Amino acid sequence: MTTPSGLSVRDMEVTAGEARAPVGIASGITFHVGPGEAVAIVGESGSGKSLTAKAVLDLLPENVRAGGEVRYCDRDVARMPARERRRLRGRELALVMQDPFTMLNPLERVGAQITEPLEDERGRRLDRARRRQQAAQRLREVGITDPNVADRYPFELSGGMRQRVGIAAAIAQQPHVLIADEPTTALDVTTQHEILELLGSLRRTHHMALVLITHDLRVAFSVCDRVYVMYAGSVIETAPAGALSAAPRHPYSLGLLLADPPIDRRVERLVGIPGSVPAPGGRPSGCPFAPRCRWAEPACEASMPALTEIAPGRATRCRRIEEIGGELTRCRQERLVHAAPPPARPAVAPIVVAHGVQKVFAARGRHGTPVVALDGVDLRIGEGQSVGLVGESGSGKTTLGRIIVGLEHATAGSVCVGGVELAGRRLARPDREALRRTVQMAFQDPYSSLNPSRTVGATLAEAVRLAGTDTGVERAVAGLLERVGLPDHYAPRRPAGLSGGERQRVAIARALARSPRLVVCDEVASALDVSVQAQILNLLRDLRDELGLAYLFITHDLAVVRQVTDRVYVLHRGQVVEEGATASVLDAPRHDYTRRLVASVPRAKEQAPSTGNLAGASA
Amino acid sequence: MNADVVPTAIPVERRRRLARPDAMPASVIVAGIVLAVMAVCALLPRLVAPQDPALINPTESLQRPGGAHLLGTDQLGRDVLSRVIHGAGTALSGPLIIATATIVLSLALSLVAGYFGGWVDAIVGRGVDLLYSLPPLIVAIVLVGVFGGGYWLAIGVLIVLNIPQNVRIMRAAVIERRGLPYVEAAETLGVSPLRIMVRHLLPNIAPVVAACFFLRFTYGIVDLSSLSFLGLGVPPGSSDWGRMLAENRVQIFENAWASIAPGLALVLTAVSANFVGDWLYEHFERRGRTR
Repeated sequence: MTTPSGLSVRDMEVTAGEARAPVGIASGITFHVGPGEAVAIVGESGSGKSLTAKAVLDLLPENVRAGGEVRYCDRDVARMPARERRRLRGRELALVMQDPFTMLNPLERVGAQITEPLEDERGRRLDRARRRQQAAQRLREVGITDPNVADRYPFELSGGMRQRVGIAAAIAQQPHVLIADEPTTALDVTTQHEILELLGSLRRTHHMALVLITHDLRVAFSVCDRVYVMYAGSVIETAPAGALSAAPRHPYSLGLLLADPPIDRRVERLVGIPGSVPAPGGRPSGCPFAPRCRWAEPACEASMPALTEIAPGRATRCRRIEEIGGELTRCRQERLVHAAPPPARPAVAPIVVAHGVQKVFAARGRHGTPVVALDGVDLRIGEGQSVGLVGESGSGKTTLGRIIVGLEHATAGSVCVGGVELAGRRLARPDREALRRTVQMAFQDPYSSLNPSRTVGATLAEAVRLAGTDTGVERAVAGLLERVGLPDHYAPRRPAGLSGGERQRVAIARALARSPRLVVCDEVASALDVSVQAQILNLLRDLRDELGLAYLFITHDLAVVRQVTDRVYVLHRGQVVEEGATASVLDAPRHDYTRRLVASVPRAKEQAPSTGNLAGASA
Repeated sequence: MNADVVPTAIPVERRRRLARPDAMPASVIVAGIVLAVMAVCALLPRLVAPQDPALINPTESLQRPGGAHLLGTDQLGRDVLSRVIHGAGTALSGPLIIATATIVLSLALSLVAGYFGGWVDAIVGRGVDLLYSLPPLIVAIVLVGVFGGGYWLAIGVLIVLNIPQNVRIMRAAVIERRGLPYVEAAETLGVSPLRIMVRHLLPNIAPVVAACFFLRFTYGIVDLSSLSFLGLGVPPGSSDWGRMLAENRVQIFENAWASIAPGLALVLTAVSANFVGDWLYEHFERRGRTR
């Protein structure tokens, strides 16, 4: 079934927990990648994609076991003695991990980490001079031309540089298969773009097979030829990238495609997938997607459908695909043409007027230099207006948001929020109260934005009481929950019993409790899965329409900005480099940096590469 | 509100499914029983003890274990078992007072210093550093030695001088959580600082507080016994374990049990408290984890 070279995985099972009562993480995983080919394994959190990759390399954590067949160049890896398997890792199969900040040993120089496993023809460690020369050469391969980088420690490098070094170390022994587990998720958009380009070019120059594991379909389409979509521990669809994008053959793949906000236009409504990904151990017995699928029928829930081939190189686990295939394609196509013009908003009274805001963080230690986070920023948010604040990490966008809600104080300039001047003084009590009635904040990380030891009800009741309501608190709490789309029996639950999306809903409800006129949303949707992200963005839009809220939307994601904001400010190194109506800034960026930002958003390849892999590959 | 924002019906409880059920290990059960027995002895010594611990009977001095005296008698013919049982009272109450008081004081200091930071933190920090340089037991020995057998003086000294260790641990735990979004969200909502400390920070550092409490309790047992072993603290003649060890160690070859029994009681209580404390910490820690 497969070409003799390359990596193929057949019927892999990954289970966790004790042997007596195992919890299935992934099952029946089958995939193949040939030399020079790039495949993507795409799935939301909890789909089991990362553990599957680790299982292939035999790097599973304690208490997690794998079964099934892993063949590399027609040798069964699972049956190899541990010694041989260890030799295979790094030389033949290599791994690049997600977090560039913990992937490298902080106490060793970068060059030493790249050349550590290298040996000469007789299996001895290289001598100093050759190690130096090798390190410089490997760094050049990943686009670092300065050979002195080899003498630096990881903390002296930026995230993108570290990821490059990680890739250099992974490919130092010229492996034939590179497995990259979310290699760009922790990076900024422009850096992400560079790393993806790098992976693509390395694949060509080294004739390397690439397995890219990601949650982001856009990333997958930009690099890979073939895509395996995973959901709740099984591959539910596999298809060539172009075909999947144009005509998905599983309702979940369609859902993912539709939920992904488009960057080039504003749509009437994002289509989220109701519910959330089931946790391992709590998965339904039949088709895992059936409870969230609008085409599900009783038979879907009876048993797990098999992965069936529907065309060469295409397979799906949907048992109704014959009936609904046409409809799926139609939904996809409709979406591709449907676009809504951004609603025009009349000029309104401002809630926030910031002028020449400067923020300098004092130097750390005796030898540190002060950090200028914001350098003369002007910003204006009108009543009921949704304003985006876009920038990469370190651009100062979060600092500006925090200044506006009063969590941070500006060093210089003026910040006027709801008629209260925040800069340069300690707020008196009535001013503080006025500020809190005007602006509230929703935070990024759904796991730490709620107090884990308090119930949802207690958290909201506290906020309601602070708003001055002392009677009917319970009713007010139920009302808030309803506003954000949660039933009132959620009140006695603790955050640990909620999914990420539900926690963000509660956090938004908490911000609404004081009936603010402006909500500062700091990356509220970026830690969530795509399907859940769409639900939250829709919720925010609805709340705006119903309550006339204004938003300051802090994000790095241009597609999100396109969907929810009217105006946008582009922040670069503490300065606003461009501002204007969202559509005009994104469609016709004037500043160099904005142009680079827009160009970095991953897009599907113009033309699928004309290799024979597509036809020859099977699921 | 809309069709596409229908929430999940099933609460997500990943942790609980993947983690093993939170069974109490045998060591902790045994430790709990030991502590319970000691507590009963401390509260109702007259019900448990076979004899009056102070009853002197020279005709029966230095008897071996067995017969009328399960653990034998000491030089004055007092029943060792009864004295050990009556000793539980002072052995447990002193450390309990020390642990409670020192934890309450440290907790207050940690919350204030950790939450407000800045110069408040600097003052508390320097004060704590200053106290840290004083060795608790030696200061207690000197002070009690100079001012004469004050049991309460000893306890007071141990309370104050045990503060630094706790503050270091708890302040770090407060600072770790102080910058988390849920605390900042409470601030932007306008929750008062006191309420933030008590409602939002304290419950989330409870595991650390519990661990510190049992650690202080264990050290309290050892410290107070050391003092009474040296003849400081409790008055002579009282049935205190440390004191019994000191009194009976001279006759260790005639009647070993008279000194082994109080020593054993000391070790058992201290080790049990440690086991229970450790388990409680881990239990709370696991329950409080959200991810």
